[in-house]
Amino acid sequence: MLCEQYKNALIEAAASGAAPSGELRVHLAACACCRVAFDEEQSLFAGIDSGLHAVANAEVPPSLVPCVRTQLDEAVSPRFRWVQSLVFASAGVALVFTAFLLTWPRHTTPENLAKQDSTPSLTATAKKESPEYVSPESAQTTAKRMSHPLSPRKSTNLRIVSSSNPEVLVPPDEREAFARLVAVLNEHSDVAASLLAKAPQKDAVVTADPLQIPDIEIKPLEGTETSDGGEKR
Amino acid sequence: MQELVLNQPVSTAGSELVREAAQADARREFEERLAECGPLAYRVARGVLRNTADAEDVAQEALIRAYKSFDRLRDRNRFRGWLVRISFRLALDRLRSAKRREQRDTLWSQPENLPPPATAEDVAASSQFQAHLDRALEELPEKLRLVLLLSAMDGYTIEEIAAMVGVPIGTVKSRIFIARKKLAEKLRCYANSIRTR
Repeated sequence: MLCEQYKNALIEAAASGAAPSGELRVHLAACACCRVAFDEEQSLFAGIDSGLHAVANAEVPPSLVPCVRTQLDEAVSPRFRWVQSLVFASAGVALVFTAFLLTWPRHTTPENLAKQDSTPSLTATAKKESPEYVSPESAQTTAKRMSHPLSPRKSTNLRIVSSSNPEVLVPPDEREAFARLVAVLNEHSDVAASLLAKAPQKDAVVTADPLQIPDIEIKPLEGTETSDGGEKR
Repeated sequence: MQELVLNQPVSTAGSELVREAAQADARREFEERLAECGPLAYRVARGVLRNTADAEDVAQEALIRAYKSFDRLRDRNRFRGWLVRISFRLALDRLRSAKRREQRDTLWSQPENLPPPATAEDVAASSQFQAHLDRALEELPEKLRLVLLLSAMDGYTIEEIAAMVGVPIGTVKSRIFIARKKLAEKLRCYANSIRTR
């Protein structure tokens, strides 16, 4: 009964790790049973502490920090990965578009053939008759078109040159008429030369008639005018 | 309007540069703390989970989360406590997952699954005592368990633990005392049974 009184104090003393207080120390000196119990409590807490120490101070795996660094790099890089994928996608689209342009078959309709055939001959006629007429753009087009149109590489050049110029959509009947005109001009080169010759500049004097303004009828306003020019009502 | 249009790309590029510089600074500062706080996060997780692989996973996750929110931490001096709480919380979440609990219960309900005892009876008793200690630790309230684990780690004073957990020093002391008493209550019977063998 007497020992039961000291039980809590004994446990708390063992838990705190401090030396027993005065009254408890006197009792432990007198009671062998409580002394044994106190030793057991102390060994129990020592076991708990050593177990906790083992749990809390486990050896850290050496791979922890490098793994975290790798994951940090991966956590940062998605933005750049997105940019990379965008760049690759854009490059791919550009490549496909270029390949499409290069491999697109040209329209070899009779109208196109007529256009291709007629233009060089017309230009060549004009060149023969009036060499100063030929503009650089038409000369470039002519030079390109005079080369063999069926060669793939040259046809590519031709397409590139022609793609830089706007294409005019012409109705079929007008195109036929134009083809006939070109045929006539090829037969009669003098007509072509006269058509393509530079027109003489006229020193026209622009004259303008004098402006005719009808007489304006001025009616006096109603009311009397004051001496200082104001109107009095 | 024209000025706004002309200035907008410049300001965007400038803010981008500022943002990247801030990210680089944050990364550098985090790297400096990683060497010190990585082990702490691991040990906290290990103290809860008692499993090396799981503890490493949790520690990594806690560190990555801490890094992602590092720029939002106003007081960088509180990083350690912040990381401890993240790690402890993640470890508890993992421990609570049904699968882990089932595996653990299965292991504990079958004594033959425990590691085979060593030659000396004392060593066998010690390993069993450790298993009971782990179990008793798990049954402790969370706030007591965290403080007890931190106090058992080498290198941290009561003041540092108080700063990490964010409670007064006296509270830390009382929590340690209560936690040890609770553990002793749970383990006393087992300790007595070992002695009476």
